[in-house]
Order: sequence, then C-alpha cells, then structure tokens
Amino acid sequence: MDLMLEVNGLNKSFKDKQVLKNISFEVKKGEIMAILGPNGAGKSTTIRNIMGIMYPDDGTVTFHNHQGKGIPQNKIGYLPEERGLYKNVKVMDILLYLADLKDYPVGKAKERVLAYLKKFDLEGKENVKMEELSKGMGQKVQFIGAVIHEPELLILDEPFSGLDPVSQEIFKDEIRSLRDNGTAILLSSHQMNLVEEMCDRLFMIQRGEKVIYGSLDAVKQEYANFKCTIRGSNERSTLEAIPDVENIEQDGDVSILYLTKDVNPNHWLKQLPDDVTIQELAIDRVSLHEIFIDIATDKHLMPEEGEVHA
Amino acid sequence: MRNAMKVAKWEIKRNMKNKTFLIGLFLTPLLIVGFGLIGSWIGGDSDDGAEGDEMTVFINDEIGIIDELSQYASESGLDFRIEETNVEIGEVAAELEEAEDTAYVFLNEAALNEGVIPVYIAEDVDSFFSNQLAIFQAPILSYQMETLGLTEEQSLAVSRGIHFAEMDAEEITDDGALEDEAAGEDFLAGIVPASFGGIIFISILFTGMAMFQSASQEKKDKIAEIILSSVTPEELMQGKIIGYFVLGLVQAAVLLVFLVPFILFTTDIPLFEYLFVPETLLFVFIAVLNYLMFAAIFVGIGATIEDVTTSGNFQGIVMMLPFLPFIFIGPVVADPSGLMAQIGTYIPFTAPGVLLLRLTMLDVWPWLEIGISLAIIIVSVFIFVRLAGKIFKVGILMYGKNATPGEIWKWLKA
Repeated sequence: MDLMLEVNGLNKSFKDKQVLKNISFEVKKGEIMAILGPNGAGKSTTIRNIMGIMYPDDGTVTFHNHQGKGIPQNKIGYLPEERGLYKNVKVMDILLYLADLKDYPVGKAKERVLAYLKKFDLEGKENVKMEELSKGMGQKVQFIGAVIHEPELLILDEPFSGLDPVSQEIFKDEIRSLRDNGTAILLSSHQMNLVEEMCDRLFMIQRGEKVIYGSLDAVKQEYANFKCTIRGSNERSTLEAIPDVENIEQDGDVSILYLTKDVNPNHWLKQLPDDVTIQELAIDRVSLHEIFIDIATDKHLMPEEGEVHA
Repeated sequence: MRNAMKVAKWEIKRNMKNKTFLIGLFLTPLLIVGFGLIGSWIGGDSDDGAEGDEMTVFINDEIGIIDELSQYASESGLDFRIEETNVEIGEVAAELEEAEDTAYVFLNEAALNEGVIPVYIAEDVDSFFSNQLAIFQAPILSYQMETLGLTEEQSLAVSRGIHFAEMDAEEITDDGALEDEAAGEDFLAGIVPASFGGIIFISILFTGMAMFQSASQEKKDKIAEIILSSVTPEELMQGKIIGYFVLGLVQAAVLLVFLVPFILFTTDIPLFEYLFVPETLLFVFIAVLNYLMFAAIFVGIGATIEDVTTSGNFQGIVMMLPFLPFIFIGPVVADPSGLMAQIGTYIPFTAPGVLLLRLTMLDVWPWLEIGISLAIIIVSVFIFVRLAGKIFKVGILMYGKNATPGEIWKWLKA
C-alpha cells in the first residue's frame, strides 16, 4: 500500500512537561489507522502537530504524494476534537466556504453537499442555519465539511464523541466506504469498541509515549490473551495454583484469570483442578477495551509493552 | 494572500447576510439623522426663545437714517419690524403699557452728541434685544462721521477701531502677511473633509470592534481549528482585518448616503466643493491607518477572550484604547498647537484621532509634525499587526478559558 503520511520521532513539550515522546507511525492509502489512548495521552497534540497547528520541538511529518514544502492542506480533511461551525450561517454557505478554502470547485462542492446531506438524513437542511440544528446534526455537517473536498488523507479526532448510536453507525459506514475508495484515514478515539470494529492498524499512546503499534490482528494476537472468568467462591490461593495464570482479579464471587500468551485453551481447561468451584465459566480473548483500560490505569495485568509488526 | 481574500470575502458575505449587522448598518445613520433633526428642533426652539417673536422697533428718527437701519436689520437676519413713529419720549410709557415685543428708539442730534441713544422696551422683551440693537452702531456711527465731514476712507479707518489679536508666529506666511482666515467658509472648507475622514474613522472603528467580537466568537464556536486546517493563522487574521475594513467602508458609505442628502437639504453648505480636495485624501489615509492599528489590537485581544463576561481588566483596558483620543479633545480644541495637542500627536493610540482634530482646526498645517506623527502611526501599525499575529496564533486555539496578561506576554516573547 502507498504510504500517505509518515510521522517520525515527534517530540513536544509544554513548559517543562514533555507531552509527546518520540512518536513515530505511518498512515497508508486505503487504511484506517487509529490512535488510541486515554484522555490527555497526547492524541490531539499529535494530530495538531501533523496539521501544522502546532509545531513539534523535534521530529518530522512527511506527506508522501506531495511535492514541495509545507502541508498539502487541500489534500487533507480534518475534523478536530474541539470543533464547531459558525452558528448564524446556513449549512450550505459554511460548507461551500470550507470547500472554497480548499480550492474545491463550487459546482462540484454543491453537488457533494446535497448528496452528503441526503446520505446523513439531513436532506432539505441546506438552507437551515447552523444554530437551528441539533448537536448531532451539527456534527454531521462538520463531518461533511471535513470530506467535502475529497481529501486523500482524512484526519478524524474523536469523530464519534457525542454521537448517538444511529449516527455512529452512519459515520462508521461512511468512514469505511472512504477507506475502500482509497482514502488514508487517521482516526483518534478512546472508544475502543468502535475502533476495534473498523481500524486496520492502531497506535496506542499513553502519557505521550507509544505503548502498542501494529495491525489490529497482530495486536490482538500479541496482547489479547485468553482470559477465563469463573463465578463461584474460590480462594485466591486455589486459583494461583493453576498453571499458566498470569494475573488474577477477584471481585466477590467472580474471578478473572488472565492466562499466559501461549496457552492453549483446550489444554488449559482440561487441567483445571477439582477443588475449583465453578458456577459459571467463560473463556474468551481480552478485548481491545480491556487492554486500553489496563494501560490507562497502569494495572499491567497483561504482558509488557512492545511493538507488533503489521 | 489568496486565502486571506477568501476569508475576507466570507466575513463580508456572512455579515451582509446577518440581520443584526444589517439593522446596525441602517440604524446608525438613521439615529444620527434623527438626532440631527431633534437637535435642530430643540435648537430652533431655543432660538425662538432668545429672539422672542417678531420685535416691532419704533424709531423716532430725527436724523433720517431709518431706511438704512431697516436694511441693516434685514441683512443681518434679525426679526425686526422697523417702523417710523412720532411718539415723543413723554408718551412712551403709555404706549408700552399694553404693547408686547415692542421697543422705541429715539434718534436725534442731541442723543448722537451725547453718545447715548435712549431705548424704551416693553416689559416682556428679553435682555438679548439690546445686544441685537448693537448692530445699529455701525450705520449710526457712519452717519455721524459723514456729518462730521470725514471722507469715506477716514470714517472707515475710525469706525474699524483698534483690536488686539493673538497671532501665531509660525503662521506668518512667506509673503510676510498674516494669514487672515476669519471667514466661516474657510472653516467649513476644513471641517467638511475632516468630517468625511471622521465618519470613515468612526465607522471602521466600530466595525473594528465588531472584529473583536468575531475573533472571540471564532473561539467560542470552536471553528478556528477547522479553518486553520486550510489557512494559516496569519491569513485568517489578515482576512478578518480586510473583511471588516470593507464592512466598515460599507457602513461609512451607507452613513454618507443618508447624511449627504440630509446636509444638502437642511443646510446650504456646498458639500461636494469642500469634499473633493486633496486634504480629504490625507484624512481618509489617517482614518485607514487608525483602523489598521485598532483592528490588529482588537483581533489579537479578541483571540484571547472566549467569554467576554469573564474577561479580565486587562482586555477591558485595551478595549478602551480607541477612546483615548477623546481625552485630548478638550486641550486640542483649546489650543490646537499646544503641548497637549503635540503630545497626543505622538502617542500611537491617540495620534490618528488627535491629528485629524488638529488638522481640522489649524489653518496652516505643521507638516513636520504630521510627518513624524504619520511615521509613528505607520510603524505602530506594523508592530501591532505583528504582535497581534503572535497573540492570535496561540490565542485562537486556546479553548475554554480567557488568556491572562502573563500568558499573552509569553506569546509575545515567543
């Protein structure tokens, strides 16, 4: 796949606090690359450095496919985390203005606005003022603003925040279809479940540092170990005696056993000791969400950080 | 620059479609014209009060100049009805008892010789009347001199009297003669271009303040980051400055469209004759520079404020800067070449306003001071635009709080 964006060794400090430490990743054409991390991890700062809204102290941001200096603003679509649009203007006017700023022809922009409004259930709203729209509708208009000029690289900072499930689905579908049409998409989020469903590769960041970087499958294989949830009153010592258990979390009658990486679930189940009380038992892989929580809360129930190659 | 023009175009379009702006656009001139009319009504009333109704002035004329006097009265626009009478001094009391707005003047050789002309007035006649009567001094005096056998030249020399007038040594023109600009027409000739400049000055000042709103709104609506993904902060700022400049001109144009006919109809000032002079260009130039300076300041400060209601004193003080010239109005009017006036001319914030005012009042322009002042203004504009750019760049992206002076200082140093 063609490389669209390459971020190399970004460092950034505010006052004496280093908020980005040696951040490097790539975004390719036709893929969804997700930056994940808890609030304040440095996701938006990374994106702002890419967009030239902030300047890194160190490191480079390279836009492949772009000759010359600077940021190819007309080829990038950007939906910032802190976003809004002028309130007292019409939907069509503001979108045409945004298209015009990207040097996108007016006629084509108009057609695309109408098509998108229809797609997003906002048909007939083009002459409505922004302030009359609900928050969700406003978000949709902002999204249209980010993609109106058919960007080659689309950067979405927390695109799902504040959206209801129906709108989330619409956004997800649209983001996927943009990817399928060859757009390179960089997406930041802290909503793991959404990201898990759609991203191709991910970059997890915590306190400005890389934690995990790789393709979703590889990450899951690497980090999403099996975990076994057992309901029934068991002594911690009993459970600790079970082989291949890396960590135990107990909450009343429910115990969660985090298994080692190379465990074979069939084998492991067979060797469960008889003295373990089991009312219910479930075995599944740790979800991205749990990995995220684990990292965000520094519990380190799971293996140490590392890099997974896609 | 192309992007800046796009932003400018957008700002213009957005405001021209905005009801609030449109209402303000037309309300301002209507208010001015409205107050003008009210003023002239009130003014008219007070004139009536001063002059009273038509005065009937009976003149017992024993020297035969009554025709000249009536001519004088009508030329000077006094509301006098002059009539000849044969009433003697002894009968006056009886005549005046019933009369209103009536006066009796007794002109005779004896009175002339004494230099005191007896005047009897009805009770209701106000005190202004005797001042008004003073205009008869000239014709009476000239009659007196004529009878004394002076030539016209001699009598002119005598009747002119001697006055002491303070003159400005700097105002001696090259040919050595004192510039005597007593005529009101010359004053108008100065004031019309200056008012024109002043209107532009004020219009764009107000839109400059609207720009503060706009920059602040940009933060509040959180659109800045979206726009900045397409244009640089400098372009956004320039675009705003240009856009609001045009809006200010639109406001000025609308104002003039209302005011010019109003002035033409209500007065007989030959407006256009006075307006199309080179001075107008200078005034407009000063107004534009003033706009640029305050536009830069406002757009910069606007970018530091998200919520006006919680903004600190610092921003409030900066907002007052454009009104600083008003402090100088008093001293400048009192002495357009005085120390205060000169100080005002050299302080960047007050220079445009004070300069405009001084140039209106001075007959001979102090070109050196104008030059220095303009240089100061231009350099300040340059500096303020740069500083504003620095503040704007950081401030516009700072969400959720207003910037403190300390933070602003840090950005400026960056």
